[in-house]
Amino acid sequence: MTPLEQAFMDENWGAPVRIETAKDHPTLIVAPENLLNISRRLKDDPKFHFDLLTDITAVDHLHRAPRFQVVYHLYSTRSARRVRVNLFLPSEQPSVDSVTPVWPAANWYERELFDLFGIHFRGHPNLKRLIMPGRWIGHPLRKDYPLGGEEVLFSHNRGQIEQQVIPWDQLEDEAEVYEEIDLDQAKTSGFIGTVPESETQVNPMRLDLNMGPQHPGTHGLLRLVLHLEGEVVRDVEPHIGYLHTGIEKSMERLSYPQALTMTDRADYVSNLNNNLAYCMAVENLLGLEIPLRAQYARVILNELERLASHMVWLAALSFDMGVMSAFFYCFELRERVLEIKNLCSGVRMMTSYITVGGLRMDLPNGFHEKVQNILEPFPDKIGELEKMLDDNPIWIRRLKGTGKLSPEEAIAWSVTGPPARASGIKWDLRKSNPYSCYDHFEFDLPLGSEGDNYDRYRVRMEEMRQSLRIIRQALDRLPGGAFRSDDRKVVLPPREELERSMEAVIHHFLISSDGFLVPPGEAYAAVEGPRGELGYYIHSDGGNKPYRVKIRDPSFAHAQAIPVMARGGMVADIIALIATIDPVLGGIDR
Amino acid sequence: MTAPLDKAVHWAQRSSLWPLTMGLACCAIEMMSMVGSRYDIARFGAEVFRGTPRQADLMIVSGRCSMKMAPVVRRLYDQMAEPKWVIAMGTCASCGGEFNNYAIVQGVDKFLPVDVFVPGCPPSPEALIFGILKLQEKIAKGSPPAYLRKESS
Repeated sequence: MTPLEQAFMDENWGAPVRIETAKDHPTLIVAPENLLNISRRLKDDPKFHFDLLTDITAVDHLHRAPRFQVVYHLYSTRSARRVRVNLFLPSEQPSVDSVTPVWPAANWYERELFDLFGIHFRGHPNLKRLIMPGRWIGHPLRKDYPLGGEEVLFSHNRGQIEQQVIPWDQLEDEAEVYEEIDLDQAKTSGFIGTVPESETQVNPMRLDLNMGPQHPGTHGLLRLVLHLEGEVVRDVEPHIGYLHTGIEKSMERLSYPQALTMTDRADYVSNLNNNLAYCMAVENLLGLEIPLRAQYARVILNELERLASHMVWLAALSFDMGVMSAFFYCFELRERVLEIKNLCSGVRMMTSYITVGGLRMDLPNGFHEKVQNILEPFPDKIGELEKMLDDNPIWIRRLKGTGKLSPEEAIAWSVTGPPARASGIKWDLRKSNPYSCYDHFEFDLPLGSEGDNYDRYRVRMEEMRQSLRIIRQALDRLPGGAFRSDDRKVVLPPREELERSMEAVIHHFLISSDGFLVPPGEAYAAVEGPRGELGYYIHSDGGNKPYRVKIRDPSFAHAQAIPVMARGGMVADIIALIATIDPVLGGIDR
Repeated sequence: MTAPLDKAVHWAQRSSLWPLTMGLACCAIEMMSMVGSRYDIARFGAEVFRGTPRQADLMIVSGRCSMKMAPVVRRLYDQMAEPKWVIAMGTCASCGGEFNNYAIVQGVDKFLPVDVFVPGCPPSPEALIFGILKLQEKIAKGSPPAYLRKESS
């Protein structure tokens, strides 16, 4: 029993609380009516201090009572410990207290559950659909909601299947049904901040501006409704869901190895980081040991992906700030990383190269040289870019002092990764909760002090240098040996064995067609992605398909925090702000 | 007299396609790569990405299109000046691809007249350039844009 579990045991909760030892971290099972009290205790008691709400999600146990399970993942930035809080709700009118008074970041997470599961959160300030269109019928992530889609057309069923018809001219355009916000109602709900009494009068300077979902500055299909006072931003309302892909629902229909391909397409700028987080969660449930060579290779690949991702970020940021030439420099550097991914897997982006058990194939010939080719010129190239940008007074004036985020706000809104470090929070999962042998390498955490756009830019630039440092160490010390686990129930047998052993052929066939069985349970694994904490929560029922997968994407929390950073700034600052927090809509909407 | 004039017009149209700056999903990143210096779409005269549909004549639907986004995409298309062309980039935009589910439109040809489909997940920049070249061939031959053909809506 860990000290944390002991502390939970010893605590007098004043309510029935069951403590379970899960495979990853302790789990508290509470009654729905005690949730708010226990949440406050978990956050405010210095013994626990779970100040950061990582994620809220739900699982639908159809045909079982109680039907709904709501899962809270909490993190303590002080002690780097995690805890999971579970509670169960009945099938009829599932409803539980909102935890927005304790963790403001719960707002969107609860709205998402209301939208996709139909769970009601009492006391939520603005319980509306978040992902699906406003007038959508049904809750897609419930198990009795069909996956939908269209039957695949083959030559034998031509003419027999019904083609999906999109009445595009009848579909609701969200922008059209946008209603003027009711200020009185908004004020009481606290949704758009507190508006002083004098400001609720009619003001000719007041303007509501719709930005997105198609806008070159929103980096994807993000829609912001800006409430302006002249040029000053009074408030921002982000709307998401324009790229909702149903990835989580689709994953429930795929075997574990097949579902891996979906993870590439969630946050599509950091594919390998997604692969790793998913594989770590599955490996955790399986209790699989990963050979050292695979761990080191995973570190190298993840850091290379971070470089590629930051290059897209810098390209987009500089493009938005009007520095078109930096865009070309960045994409040229990114191509070098893509060459390595291409060499490893034959694909430029969606590699699925990191698999459950290790890597899909051993690192190819010429991998070392290719990585060396990146390591040598990259620092100079970063310096070149910095010189190009930092010597430009427009660059400095647009980034410095704009889009500020204080460390307290960052924690309250679950901001992680580079934006949190730019606000001065010394926290990186690679340091605080090392995974995949990150503790074998030396690197520093670049920190900012102001939490403004410029700090976020600086932190990411320095991070690239640290990534290069990690890659260099891992490449020098890359051990030989197996590149994947030798558990034949999970990983494919080596190619040469297929010619000799019938058993190997059977295993190969079974794993390729059916996947493998994963013991029942739940696991959450997170990596430090280029944008922040990127986690996968997997709930297994013992079958060969995940019963429920939840992708905890950092951009989701960051998009929610846009209003906090944008209030009081100018319209032009919003462009810089979106670019520096680097949201990827594929991850936000999933 | 008209035939050579047509030729000149087609030559001008195909040599200066102006795509709309519209990135939907993963494919948009490869579309950006195509603009980058390694692939350099400027060699084929299609590098002037426009932020407003009023100034664009090529829509590259780069990625999966959700039910929530479909009306927005259609509205953008309607705002573009004629003649206009559509490239469905990637399997998701072409047929729904991997995401055969409630959220994704199973091919943007359900609500847009598509001229060229580019397969791939995502298509490499070379593949997209090939798609643009194919479109240029069509324009040079004088075949009408997809929205003028009878069978498409």
